[in-house]
Amino acid sequence: MIARVPRALFYAAIWLLGGVLVAFIVLPLVRLTLATSPAGIVDAGTHADIRNAILLSLKDAAITAVLAALFGVPLAYLLARRAFPGRGLVQAIVDLPLAVPHTVVGIALLFVFSRRGWVGAPAEQVGISFFGSSWGIVAGMLFVSAPFMVGSVRVAIEAIDPRIEQAARSLGASPAYAFRRITLPLAARGIMTGLVLAYARSISEFGAIVVLAYYPMTAPVKVYDLYLQSGLNASAGAAVLLLIVTLSTFVVFRALASGQVRPLSLR
Amino acid sequence: MSTSGLQIDRLSVRAGSFQLREATLAVGRGRTLALLGPSGAGKTLLLEAIAGFRAARGGAVRLDGSDLGGLAPEQRRIGLVFQDYALFPHLSVLENVRFGLRARGMRDVAGADAALGHLGIAHLGRRRPATLSGGERQRVAVARALATSPRLLLLDEPLSAIDAPTRDELRDVLRRVLKELAVPAIYVTHDQAEALAIGDDLAVIMDGVVRQAGAASEVFARPADGDVARFLGMEVLHGGRCDASGQVGVCGQRLWVATAREPGAPVSLCYRPEDVELGLPLGPCPQGNAFDLRVALISPAGPCERVVLDGALPLTSLVMRRTRVELALAEGMTVRATLPPSAIHVVAAGDES
Repeated sequence: MIARVPRALFYAAIWLLGGVLVAFIVLPLVRLTLATSPAGIVDAGTHADIRNAILLSLKDAAITAVLAALFGVPLAYLLARRAFPGRGLVQAIVDLPLAVPHTVVGIALLFVFSRRGWVGAPAEQVGISFFGSSWGIVAGMLFVSAPFMVGSVRVAIEAIDPRIEQAARSLGASPAYAFRRITLPLAARGIMTGLVLAYARSISEFGAIVVLAYYPMTAPVKVYDLYLQSGLNASAGAAVLLLIVTLSTFVVFRALASGQVRPLSLR
Repeated sequence: MSTSGLQIDRLSVRAGSFQLREATLAVGRGRTLALLGPSGAGKTLLLEAIAGFRAARGGAVRLDGSDLGGLAPEQRRIGLVFQDYALFPHLSVLENVRFGLRARGMRDVAGADAALGHLGIAHLGRRRPATLSGGERQRVAVARALATSPRLLLLDEPLSAIDAPTRDELRDVLRRVLKELAVPAIYVTHDQAEALAIGDDLAVIMDGVVRQAGAASEVFARPADGDVARFLGMEVLHGGRCDASGQVGVCGQRLWVATAREPGAPVSLCYRPEDVELGLPLGPCPQGNAFDLRVALISPAGPCERVVLDGALPLTSLVMRRTRVELALAEGMTVRATLPPSAIHVVAAGDES
């Protein structure tokens, strides 16, 4: 016998359960905003160290998004278009940062990028230090945001009919020309989505950065620092300021990326 | 042997577990080869190998006398037209058609404008592909392929996605353009009527093997085996055996045929259902391929009616609607079916399935 759920009850349950999740996300942010006043937010903005932390986060997240595109788009193209041995393994490796706890990421990166690390030591020779610098911050951000870039671009390229690229080749386009004039423009929306996701993921990153580059402080580290030093209420002003800045840049970039607003797929 | 046009010599290509085996075909200058076969026969695979998107495992492809082996697709100057158009959606019609010239670094775009004119779509230049009808899109795709003056044109079921009325019109346009430009072409289709309408030559491919190739009228009239015959719209009677009198025994009956084989040879008899004449069973059944048979099934087939007969001999007839009315055909009644000896094509019973 099939249990029949009345239609009205079914939709009521769907709305209720979905609504709980939305409230769960919105409620803490609303409560946080209420914990401070406009004056408190402005006051936080007048502190040079808080302002610098936010600007540093914006700058390094933007650099990371561009780097993620530079290395991620070619990898996404390979994963979408080339059958090569170990493709499944490479795909799994790309998704790995999603599953690794970010403090673990920080420690692992530290091993490689510290002054005596595999990458850190030679980099030190040419004057680049990953410890306590933007290099280290960007390294942490790139590690955790790369999967979002590769994932969204790969999906975008897979959605392009391969015959369109074949047609371009048959018309005399070299692989590079077809990539530049056909594949890239048609995957543009996916690349923009990847930029937005990588940027958003980077600016919100805390765990890897706090291990790898506590200083100079990015905004999330600064908020955590304020919370430890001065307590919940004292950190609220800086937290809300960070929230406003990150949300507004996210909304702007997202609108730019989609043209029309489309749901961003997190893969 | 002419070195102009396309020569495919014992070409073998593999895709996963599927294999195209030793295909040999030729397309002369200005001729169109219709490549006919069921889905999954290897038609598209053959085109991909000719265009350079799949490496051959053996054999050779020569175009105007030069071997294409080792040339990248962009070096072959072979135009492609796909069933689903494959236009560049982010470019205007004009940019689509000029793409090949740009890709080759050519400043002169007269070829593109000429191609648009040939296809009658010069007025669509500024439009985006998404705003065009299916027929218009395919005209753009053909113009795009022709703009770079290809040495060969490959068309992969170009009309299959297009509505019926537009399809006939576009088929005539394609035929005219291919003749005017005298560009050799392979036209893939699974529709025998389309193959006959557009092909000077006809090749039938099944299960990765080219079963028959030749002038379209010749292949159509004299299929090599029962499978090819069936695919070309013929009916096939299996299990026949020639006798010394020039007749063929099949299904316990004896039929006269125009061209007999040596006595005892196992054969299949192929005929077109439209050659089976139906009449009323008046008087005794005469000699000469006339049989009184029961009407098992009548079904509409376009402007005609397909009549399936059983009894002494399983035959299928295609008659005009008028004939059905005149004979008052109904399922279960008996009719006299006549199959003229000249309408029977005898093939050796062989390895066909």
